[in-house]
Amino acid sequence: MDKAIVVNIEKCLACKSCEIACALEHSKSKVLEEAVAESPRPQRMVTVEPAGEFGVPIQCRHCEAPPCIEICPTGAIQRQNEQSPVTVDQDLCIGCKLCMLICPFGVLRIGPEGRAITKCDMCWQRLEDGQEPACVEACPTKALKLVSLEEVTKPKRTAASKKLAKEIKKKSKSEEK
Amino acid sequence: MKRIVVIGGSAAGMMAAIAAAKQDPSAEVTVVTGDRTPYRRPAIPALIAGYITGPAGAKIFSPKTLTRYNIKLICPAEATNIDPESKVISILSNSEEEKLAYDAAVIAAGAYPLIPKIPGSDKKGVCTFTTYEAAAEIVQTAKSADSAVVIGAGFIALEIAEALMHKGLDVYFNVRSRILRKLLEPEVSEFLTKKFERQGLKMLTGEAISEIGGADHVEYALHKGSKIAANLVVVGTGVKPSVALAEKCGIELGLTSAIKVDNRMQTSAADIYAAGDCAESPDLGTGRFVYMPVGSVGACAGKIAGANAAGANQQTKGFLRAQADQILGLQIFSIGHSTTTAEEVSLKVRAHDLTVPQSAIKNRATGAFEVAKILTDPHDRVVGAQLVAKKHGSQFAWQLYKAVLEAEDRKEFLRRFNSPRTKVAEALVHAIKSTVVVESVGEDRALALADRVGQENIN
Repeated sequence: MDKAIVVNIEKCLACKSCEIACALEHSKSKVLEEAVAESPRPQRMVTVEPAGEFGVPIQCRHCEAPPCIEICPTGAIQRQNEQSPVTVDQDLCIGCKLCMLICPFGVLRIGPEGRAITKCDMCWQRLEDGQEPACVEACPTKALKLVSLEEVTKPKRTAASKKLAKEIKKKSKSEEK
Repeated sequence: MKRIVVIGGSAAGMMAAIAAAKQDPSAEVTVVTGDRTPYRRPAIPALIAGYITGPAGAKIFSPKTLTRYNIKLICPAEATNIDPESKVISILSNSEEEKLAYDAAVIAAGAYPLIPKIPGSDKKGVCTFTTYEAAAEIVQTAKSADSAVVIGAGFIALEIAEALMHKGLDVYFNVRSRILRKLLEPEVSEFLTKKFERQGLKMLTGEAISEIGGADHVEYALHKGSKIAANLVVVGTGVKPSVALAEKCGIELGLTSAIKVDNRMQTSAADIYAAGDCAESPDLGTGRFVYMPVGSVGACAGKIAGANAAGANQQTKGFLRAQADQILGLQIFSIGHSTTTAEEVSLKVRAHDLTVPQSAIKNRATGAFEVAKILTDPHDRVVGAQLVAKKHGSQFAWQLYKAVLEAEDRKEFLRRFNSPRTKVAEALVHAIKSTVVVESVGEDRALALADRVGQENIN
C-alpha cells in the first residue's frame, strides 16, 4: 500500500476517540445512540495500548508480506491487489485463531459473538469516497495521520542529510585546525 | 463434466468443495451435510455464554460464497451408503432417499463426542457440545442450574467452563490427569491450573468423576469420594472419528481408527478422499500419520483432498499442529509437538524453559510472557513450543511458530530470540529483506543495521 496510518505517540492523549469512531464506523447504523444497542456489538479494530507514560493507538499495519494471509488455512484473510488493505472475509473464517498466533503486532482479535476474526480494513469504503479512515478523522490532536510512505520518509531523509552535512562540516573544520 | 460429492459441511468439507471448484471450474460440486445450516463450530461457547442465540449468529459459507464457486448444498441430509463399484452415494434428505452419482468423493464426516463410561452418564443434564443441538441443551439446562461440572481437557472444554462462569454458575472443572495435557507440558498446565483457580474455576484434578448421580436428572457428581452438587455435567473428553460410513463400504482404517489416507489424502478406495476430523493426517516433522482433530489442519487437508478429487496431484509433507486461545484473560499458544503428542510418533523430545528476552523486560510497554517452553528433538532442533501470556503473546508466538515450522536449531533460535533484535527490529529485518535494500547493501549489513536500530529502540 502506498499509504499508511502513522501515529505520533507524543501527541496521543489516550482519549480513545479513535476506538469509538472505529466501532461506530463498523456498526450497522453508524449512529452512536443506536450503535450501543446493536447486536452483535460493534467492534473496535484499533486499540489504545498503555505503554509507560504514553498511549499508543495500534491497528493492523497492512504489511507488505502479511504473515496472516500466508497462514490462513481457508483464504479468509486476503488482499485484492497490492494497493488494497488486508481484509477478512468472515464468511470463510473457521475461527482457528492461527492468524492471532502469527501476527507480530497482535492486532487481530476474535469477535466475541460469532467467534470470527475481525480486523482493521483501513475503512476502505471511506477511502474510496475520498475520506480519511474513521480513527484518523476522529483524532482530536492529529496524533493519527494517514500519510503516503514518501511523507513519512521525506522528513527523516532531510534530517539525516542535514546531520550528515553538519558532521562533515565539523570534521573538515577540525582538520583545518 | 466431473461430478464431485463432498460428505460433510464444516471446515474440511467446505474447503474441499471450494478447492475442487477452484481446480476444475466446470465440475459439479455437491456438499451433503447433516447441519441445518453451515456454522462456525468454535462459536458454540459464545452460544452458551449467550452472545448469540442460534446458528444464525455464527454463519459461515453463506449461499453467496457457495454460489460464487457454484457449489450445491444439500442440508440437512445424511449420507447412508457409498458404493465404490458403481460410484453412487445414497443420501437421506427429509426422510427421502436419493442417489448421487459421483466421479470423485471426499469424506469429511467429522467426529462425534466420546462419552466416558461413568455410571449415570445417561442421565438428563449430561451434555456434549460438538453440535449446536447439543449446545442448545446446555443452554436450557444452565438456566435452572446453580453449578456445573465440566469434564474435559481441551481448549473448547475450558471455553465452555468460562462461558458457564459468565452465566453466573459455579463451575467445577474435572480432568483426570491435567488440563491441556495434549498441548502443554506439566509445568505449564500447573501454572494455568493455579491461575484459573484464582479466577474462580474450581479444579477437580487427579482423578476422573467416578459417578454421576440423581433420580432422573443429574444432582451430583462423585469425585475422589466426595459429592459435588451440580445440575449440569458437560462432557468434553475428546472425540472419535466418524468412520461408520467409510467402514461400511470397505475403506481401510489406520492404526488410530480414523480413516487411513496417503499424502494425497486418498483413501484405500479409488477416487474417494478423506480429510478433517474423520481421517488421519501426516505430522509435519516425522511424516507419520496421526489423529489431529484440529480445525486448521482439517481445512488444509480438505483443500488437498478437494483439489485432488478434481484432478490435481497435490501432496503434503505434513501438517503443523498450532493452536491458540484466550481463556479467562490468558493467551495460550501451543505450536507443534508436546511431550504427549511426540510420544505418539515415537519422537524423543526434551523440554526447555524459555526465559523472557532481556529486551522485553526492559521494554515493559509491550509486556512479557508468563511462562514458555520449547521442545527439541535429539538433534537439538525445535519441534514444539508453548507460551502463556497476559497480552501481546503473539509477538513471541510468531517467532516460535517460525522456529517450529523450520525445525530451527535450538542454539540458533535462542540467539535470535534473546537478541535485542526480537521485536521492532525483527519486523524491520523482514521489511529490509523484502525490499531493494538487501540488493544494495547486502543482507549482512542490513541485519547489522536492523540490530542497531533495534538496540536504539530499546534504549
